[in-house]
Amino acid sequence: MHQKVKHPHYEHLREKWTKRHKQLQSEIFDKHKDSFEWFVNNSKQLTIGTLAGIFLLTSPIIPKIQTAFSSDDVAANKTIDKKAFVVHDLKNVLPQDVRSLTQEEEKNVGEILSRDYGMNVVPELDGKRLNTTYGIIGQEQHLARYPGDNMITHFDSLAEQEKYWDYGMAPGLGAWGYFSNSRDAMSEKDIQREKYYIAVQTFLVPGFNKNPKEYTDFFKYRKMLVVNPQNGKAIVVVIGDAGPAQWTGKQLGGSPEVMTYLERYDGSQRGPVLYFFIDDSNDKIPLGPIYL
Amino acid sequence: MKSKHFYAHLTETTDIILELGELDMSSEERIHLLSLVEANIHSSVINTVLSNLDEKNKKIFLNNLISDDHSEIWEHLNKSTNDLENKIKKTIDLMKKELLRDIKKART
Repeated sequence: MHQKVKHPHYEHLREKWTKRHKQLQSEIFDKHKDSFEWFVNNSKQLTIGTLAGIFLLTSPIIPKIQTAFSSDDVAANKTIDKKAFVVHDLKNVLPQDVRSLTQEEEKNVGEILSRDYGMNVVPELDGKRLNTTYGIIGQEQHLARYPGDNMITHFDSLAEQEKYWDYGMAPGLGAWGYFSNSRDAMSEKDIQREKYYIAVQTFLVPGFNKNPKEYTDFFKYRKMLVVNPQNGKAIVVVIGDAGPAQWTGKQLGGSPEVMTYLERYDGSQRGPVLYFFIDDSNDKIPLGPIYL
Repeated sequence: MKSKHFYAHLTETTDIILELGELDMSSEERIHLLSLVEANIHSSVINTVLSNLDEKNKKIFLNNLISDDHSEIWEHLNKSTNDLENKIKKTIDLMKKELLRDIKKART
């Protein structure tokens, strides 16, 4: 395809002025965040278009200005997506590269997630933590929930089957065995646990080998919040399996339902998530996506 | 016709348009740069306004900004601040000065 040559003066000024504009946006957002948050939470008619107008994130809407809000979104007049705030908050505290967070970073992230999602989100619970709280997530398969569960029996509806069939079922069981002893005994909780599970590297947790029983009991179906920091999508899950192996370069795995909701993919498109414990001793927080 | 921004009467960008006209670029590129001029000015104005308001009035201003009623915006700002119009003008002038300096630097 023929591509027009861009003039150097244009390139130079475009880069400089775009950068300045972004800095201004950040400054406005940081200085007056409380007001904007109040505004988003209290305006029923707020749309991405109007929010963009306030920040002038995209107004005037110029296709070449790359921002979180595209002109298509404005035209579609979508309801404001509060996840934009999460993305902005996290962007300011997360490192550029995917690595284990420092204690200070974990503290900041925990506070942001607790505030934005309205639950107590912590990197450490009862003196126990995982090997990391920020890592690359890979794709896992469906798990057999009870003896005899297979791809034919696994789905609740045709729509679900169509959506998640291709991921297949893991040949082995999850780290904790079957979710239920039989189909008849299977509860809604068991179903939800298999649907919304992650696999984490429990075997790399400091202290695990010294007291595997205590750690296994702690991690089994432990409730966690998993967040894609690039789109602000968050989901409440349980630890349902152990893995992936260290050599894969991934730090955790997500069930088909988890990965689909977070919009995370395996392979060359793989990306990071945050995963923190939820302090929910009374088991009040339901599993599944959180809609802000 | 209603002007685009509530502070439009304080903005005069002819000098920037003329300076950009001296640079070798397509009209499409020039239009894009002008939109960035507008975006930078707008953000700096909003920053100035919000920085001069208390929490309660920030919220009123944001509501007015959404409704895009310019007379209501000014009525509220004049009531709750001192000399804000002048401060906005200074902000715009400062931003313009920076942008013009960038253009001149690009030419050399």
